[in-house]
Amino acid sequence: MLDEKTNQPAIIATDLVKTFGRTRALDGVDLEISAGGITALLGSNGAGKTTLINCALGLTAQSKGDIRVLGQKSGHALARQSTGAMLQNSDLPDLLTARENIELMASYYPDPRALDEVLGLCEMREFCDVQYKKLSGGQKRRVQFALAIVGRPRLIFLDEPTTGLDSDARRILWKTVRTLAEQNVTIILTTHYLEEADALADRIIVMNEGRIIADAPTTEIRDTVGGALIRCVTRINARQLATLSAVRSVNFAGRFVEILSADAVASLRALLEIDPELSDLTIERPSLEEAFLGLTNRTNGKTDP
Amino acid sequence: MSYSIWNAFQKEAGAELLKLLRAPEFFIPTLVMPSGFYALFAIALPGSHQNAEYMLATFGVFAVMGPSLFGFGVGVANERARGWLDLKRASPAPGIVYIASKLTATLLFASVSLGLVYVIAGFGAGVVMEREVWVSLFGVQLLASLPFVLLGLTLGFSFESNAAVAVTNLVFMVMSALGGLWIPVVIFPPALQSIAQFLPSYHLAEIALFVGQAPGTHHVMQSLVVVLAMTGGLAALALFSWARQRSS
Repeated sequence: MLDEKTNQPAIIATDLVKTFGRTRALDGVDLEISAGGITALLGSNGAGKTTLINCALGLTAQSKGDIRVLGQKSGHALARQSTGAMLQNSDLPDLLTARENIELMASYYPDPRALDEVLGLCEMREFCDVQYKKLSGGQKRRVQFALAIVGRPRLIFLDEPTTGLDSDARRILWKTVRTLAEQNVTIILTTHYLEEADALADRIIVMNEGRIIADAPTTEIRDTVGGALIRCVTRINARQLATLSAVRSVNFAGRFVEILSADAVASLRALLEIDPELSDLTIERPSLEEAFLGLTNRTNGKTDP
Repeated sequence: MSYSIWNAFQKEAGAELLKLLRAPEFFIPTLVMPSGFYALFAIALPGSHQNAEYMLATFGVFAVMGPSLFGFGVGVANERARGWLDLKRASPAPGIVYIASKLTATLLFASVSLGLVYVIAGFGAGVVMEREVWVSLFGVQLLASLPFVLLGLTLGFSFESNAAVAVTNLVFMVMSALGGLWIPVVIFPPALQSIAQFLPSYHLAEIALFVGQAPGTHHVMQSLVVVLAMTGGLAALALFSWARQRSS
């Protein structure tokens, strides 16, 4: 899908590489994000999410490859006019109020939102005349979010927007992001939290060590992730284990068996009933990367004839 | 487009001014120190009256140097460190608007600082000069802020915020003391006098002394050439340090 104003996809990255000394922060990223919708970039620290966003914003020059934003070279004036951003480590001037900060950012854009509309969307009227330095951490993040949307951008980057927000502020931000998405604005956000990606995004891209390791619609990912990994020593065989309630897969690792279950309590209850002598029991959530690695393998399996 | 740049400039210059006005740790020293020192050296100290005119020229340069060096050196370093400049770079804000706004706010502060020194000179120290001399001296001293602004920019782009405060203070002190802005360099030992030749503050003071028709001979043409060359060099340095921090 193309953006309705610029007639271009939001992002096209081709073999994007960024090295910092010996570290490869981006290690050959190929990516197309069409216009509209909410895309979540998921991954641990150092996965390359922020570097990818900084390249798209023109803040970091790539070492190799190409990235185009709304059809323009990243960092091009035309791209910047249609882009809003909330960066991870970007504090605003301490001595200006929220209102002054928003008005200043608005003055850079050709067709900004009215101040009142922004204050309403972000529900921040009660602290808009307080100097930035006197705001709480969460309120500061909300002012930064307001700056990202005030220019009426077609494309918004939010780098860990809800880190440090209380649940109320998070709810407001999510609501605003959804409102903007309904207006066909493209939103790209990074997050550590699967719940956040799940609640907001239509598409989830998982990054690890500078590469994209999974990329799928959220609905597809929802089925895979979640549940628990039950590890124990049991005398029950694999075939019987697989028939237990909510069990998805069974895998033997040495003397242990690893059972991936959609509902750990149900599976365990059934398991303990048939094997009261079960021992060395641990239950853990499968790590995000494991879960998504599983997903990529499965998708590959599906597409390969 | 031109309207939107003008609009951005107005908002940005207003914001710069507000930031300075809300920072007493900036504006009290930059406004009070030059006029306070001038009052001390030109009025309070015994036998200082005959030097009041001479010192008006050098303390005027001192008065514009503070806001220029600190506004740019510390201001830019601070805004760079907190990531504000990154956010501006990602936004459609033209870089020139940022510099022009800071320059406008700095020149306004420098004018006020300079004005206070002039008030003390005219009413307290009894300096009497032709109106044209007052005006041209004011113009020359205000222009003297340019090389310091460029030097401040270089420091702001080159040092992290805490280091920038320390380095800017050091530069400020060396420029003032060794450039002869407080006491004439002729009193210094020859070794220190030769250092002055390499400082823009010294040459700017020489030009101000000439324009203010202060007693003594001043090599105005020579100083003018040196100041122009130094300003060009500082502009190149500022551009270089700007490009370097961008690409990192």
